[in-house]
Amino acid sequence: MAIAIERSVVATRRVKRYRARRWAGHALTYLGLAAALVFFLGPFFWIVTTSLKGNEDFFAYPPVWIPSEPSLSHYVGLFTRSSGARYFMNSLAISSLSMLAALAVSLPTAYSIARWRFGGGFLSAFLLVLRMLPAIALIIPIYIMYKLFGLTNNYLGLVILYTVVYIPFAVWLLVGFLRDFPIEIEEAAMIDGCSRLRALAQVVVPIIAPGLAVVALFAFIATWNEFLFAIVLTGIETKTMMVLVTSFTSGGTDAFFGEASASVVLGVLPAFAVAFMLERYLVKGLALGGTKG
Amino acid sequence: MRIAAIALKRKQWEPFAFASPSLVLIAAVIVFPLAYAFYLSLQNFDLSVGPEYEYVGAQNYVEALVKDQRFLGSVWNTAVIIAPSLAIELLLGLGIALLLSRVIRGRPIITALLAIPAMVSPVMGGMAWRMMYGVKFGAINNLGRQLGILDVYFDWFGSPFIAVVAVVLVEIWHNTPFMMLVLLAGLQSIPQELYDSAKVDGATPWQSFWSITLPLLKFTMAVGVMIRLIDLTKLFGLIFILTFGGPGGATETVAFNTYLVGFKDFRMSYASALAYVIVGGVLVLTLVFLWIQRAREARAA
Repeated sequence: MAIAIERSVVATRRVKRYRARRWAGHALTYLGLAAALVFFLGPFFWIVTTSLKGNEDFFAYPPVWIPSEPSLSHYVGLFTRSSGARYFMNSLAISSLSMLAALAVSLPTAYSIARWRFGGGFLSAFLLVLRMLPAIALIIPIYIMYKLFGLTNNYLGLVILYTVVYIPFAVWLLVGFLRDFPIEIEEAAMIDGCSRLRALAQVVVPIIAPGLAVVALFAFIATWNEFLFAIVLTGIETKTMMVLVTSFTSGGTDAFFGEASASVVLGVLPAFAVAFMLERYLVKGLALGGTKG
Repeated sequence: MRIAAIALKRKQWEPFAFASPSLVLIAAVIVFPLAYAFYLSLQNFDLSVGPEYEYVGAQNYVEALVKDQRFLGSVWNTAVIIAPSLAIELLLGLGIALLLSRVIRGRPIITALLAIPAMVSPVMGGMAWRMMYGVKFGAINNLGRQLGILDVYFDWFGSPFIAVVAVVLVEIWHNTPFMMLVLLAGLQSIPQELYDSAKVDGATPWQSFWSITLPLLKFTMAVGVMIRLIDLTKLFGLIFILTFGGPGGATETVAFNTYLVGFKDFRMSYASALAYVIVGGVLVLTLVFLWIQRAREARAA
């Protein structure tokens, strides 16, 4: 009797200790993740609050972390004084056009590789090497050629360059999606009299549309974020957001932050959207293309 | 007979037709310019002097690899930034990935939130940090003063050493999320049964980390480090916005140095030669990367 009771007491104590340890483990896990979230998201929080601060909050000491009277005046200033609206639209237009063009050109190529093993391992390896290529090696000859053809400070020149630069990335991702596509559906369509191209456009594309969207969003964000080509090739009319933000660096680190922080908020907006939409594909997308330079 | 021949012919022709638009574009916008750059690297084309140039052989390469202290210095600077960044990104990324793998509810949303810095342009991330490093109104100095850690307005880009530390910190902020994502994917591919049976055999969590997690994660880590290493050789936007290479050239990376030679001095030929030296370095790194991939596939098969 006594032994049995003692045993059960020991057992409950063990269970309690186990539960306490597990609870402590969970607490530490979430504590660690909370610290990570503060480090990785803190700068965004600060940038957003700074962009909403008025002069009084900005110059106050002790510092004001949350604006007492939030205002959008810096955004208005950015859009009117610094022609931010124009550069925002430039970024949007250039990224969207390059995204569509890259997708349109890459899909048949990816199809050719996925269905017919076109180019064998060589083409795939070649595309991978292109992804490793430093942009700085490309921009020097491109600059000289573009100067010759009058393509600097020109939307078309930028769109062409971005389209081609993201083809390797788009092809790599699309080949993966196409390989997962059941070939039988396509063959059935072709037996019914569809041409290869029509089968691709009307049967394959609608089904792999989610995959296409993933590739498109990555191409969009990559073009949106690109800086080296943009700083070399754009002029006063064709600047993108990435180039605009560099204009706020003159005057030391303490130049007034209002419009600068507003432009950063607008510049990182797509990244937030894409990170949530593409959570499952982030590893692949970032490994193959992602942010460069 | 004739119909079969046409079908065969068409079959051989179709793959080319489908692939050709991209291949033509890549040839025109990437391959040809690269060949042209190699041709240029053997001339002495200098836009600040004039449009005429002549063949000088390997002179530019000799200058880059032997005489150019600034370029060789930038190779050293790049290495000095890469080494601590890679080490800390790997350790921190592994730590966070391990924490994330223990989370049961809400993992996708926490992962997406932590991944955001990696999706942001280096220029935008750099600008945010540049403002945070601000001497009088920056968040870091203000917070430090409020907490009583800093008692002066500290200039984070004042001395070469601190400036490198500041750049490395931003680089860690920017790319640890990538490492975390790669390692999290690697962790999730390790079968849970291994841990369960180790537990039955009385292994402590520490033991199963050393003898299950680390060995099985080795290749994932190698691939992640390789990708980061290759991308770090291209470090440009962050430098442009944070320090512009300063103070005293302490944070001038190879890509940034080449940019200055090309688009500030307009020495097109010499910049092309520098770019090719970088390409050579990156190519060696890429081959190592491919070799690791192949070894991994061989292991998996």
